[in-house]
Amino acid sequence: MTITLVFTFAGIVLIGLLGVLGRRRPAADLSEWVVGGRRFGSVTMWFLQAGEVFTTFTFLGLAGLVFSGGVAAMYALPYVPIAYVLLFFLARRLWTLGREHGYLTQGDFLAGRYDSKLLGTVSAVIGVVFVLPYLQLQITGLGLIVRLVTGNAASGTLSMVIGCLLVVAFVLWAGLRGVAATSYFKDAIMLVVLAVLIIAVPVHFAGGISSMFHRIALLHPGALTIHSGPNDRTWFVTNMLISAIGVAFMTLPHTWPALMSARDPKALRRNYTFLPLYTLCLLFPMIVGFAAILVLPKSSSSNGILLSLSQHALPSWVTGVVVVAAIATAMVPSAGILIGISSLVARNIARVRGERRQFWLNHGTVVVACGLALLLGIFRPALLANLLLLTFSGTAQLAPANGLAFLRTVLVGKVPVLLGIVVGEAVVIWLTFWAPTLFGTFSVGMVGLGANLVVLAVAAVAERVLVARTAEIPAV
Amino acid sequence: MRPYHLFPIVPVLAMVLMPFLPFVNTDALWLGLPRMMVWGGGWCVLLSASLLLAERMMGREVPK
Repeated sequence: MTITLVFTFAGIVLIGLLGVLGRRRPAADLSEWVVGGRRFGSVTMWFLQAGEVFTTFTFLGLAGLVFSGGVAAMYALPYVPIAYVLLFFLARRLWTLGREHGYLTQGDFLAGRYDSKLLGTVSAVIGVVFVLPYLQLQITGLGLIVRLVTGNAASGTLSMVIGCLLVVAFVLWAGLRGVAATSYFKDAIMLVVLAVLIIAVPVHFAGGISSMFHRIALLHPGALTIHSGPNDRTWFVTNMLISAIGVAFMTLPHTWPALMSARDPKALRRNYTFLPLYTLCLLFPMIVGFAAILVLPKSSSSNGILLSLSQHALPSWVTGVVVVAAIATAMVPSAGILIGISSLVARNIARVRGERRQFWLNHGTVVVACGLALLLGIFRPALLANLLLLTFSGTAQLAPANGLAFLRTVLVGKVPVLLGIVVGEAVVIWLTFWAPTLFGTFSVGMVGLGANLVVLAVAAVAERVLVARTAEIPAV
Repeated sequence: MRPYHLFPIVPVLAMVLMPFLPFVNTDALWLGLPRMMVWGGGWCVLLSASLLLAERMMGREVPK
């Protein structure tokens, strides 16, 4: 236990140090801080973009999802590659627009394309409100990891505090370059750990991967199919599609700095071509989740199964390395999310005048956002956990606005787009909190998106009719 | 819409429709792994191949 604890805190400090080393001198302006001066090559871009795929969900959530829902967890594998198809074809256009107009955030993009500061602000507020719970999820995940391996709640809380302090320190100092520096370490250690786990866990508990699945086919055949129940075919397809739409249309604010930081669009396109191969790593924690079906009682906490099996199958120092990898998947995405949130507040919500003021407001937001997520994670974990239900469904309502803005000519005005967003969000919030079973297992995000598109289309037609009639009235 | 836009549609459809394919959504195994995993993983690889092909065709169309 002591060895694991030493590895844990050494890992947290190491990640913080690597982040600080990402930059020699502090960034001079917000553009340099948010998008690294738009000078990142293919390799850095690769790790930044891959970093968005592998979060605490990869380590804790995915194995747990297999444990509770069997092969239905496979919905998480195809949605990112599917989204990359659209981004592959749009990469050049998005990058060019960002470069020509100096966009740093999603709010900048929408405000510029629709010539509407209001739309930029609304999209930024939606981004901050729905992504803050995602930040808290990473921080809470960090504490959960440490608590699970040490069995000590105080160590979990302490790790959350130290982890947050170090993330804030390296984000303030190094910005996106700090995220890039830590991403190399995170992906390297994560791949090594996952490779060890998919061999060690099935061998230890079932004699190997193949014999493990043969036993599951015999004892728990339902875990190998998608069948009626809470994770049925409708759940699988609609959740896969809403997640793919969210990624493809860049609705999560923290994905923008990575894309805008590319030196040239070729690097982006090359990454979108090969990143689907990298997402195959998601199969590794899934395999560990299947081992848990054979070994652990059904009542076990699903989030902790990967670490529980690691502790049983591996020596304590290797478990320590597993914990460091898991902590990295919490700290590095937290840093990226903080950059996404703070740049939205500084550029699209507060709208202060002067570059220096904007820069300091941005840095203040980093401290406040991380502090808020930490405090809520420690004292009121359920509060933001409810909002987390809305993170993907809520941000996906920005997809029509972004999608139309990707076109060469924006075909509709800001009013129909805003109306669509408002109605889509209202439907998603209502269904999530007051009528979650109204559409069965159909994703509430997809229902909201349907309502969003209908309102947008009707309002766009009405707008055109109004404009045509106004044009017909002769001037007096 | 150009021909190279069509290549990735096949893997995308194969992945979206996988729970509806009776020979994939079954408790039988391929290579000692669940068929859903083999099918999904295989099409991820083919998706990369299709994007690579699309990139080559786009490169031929747009002179550098």
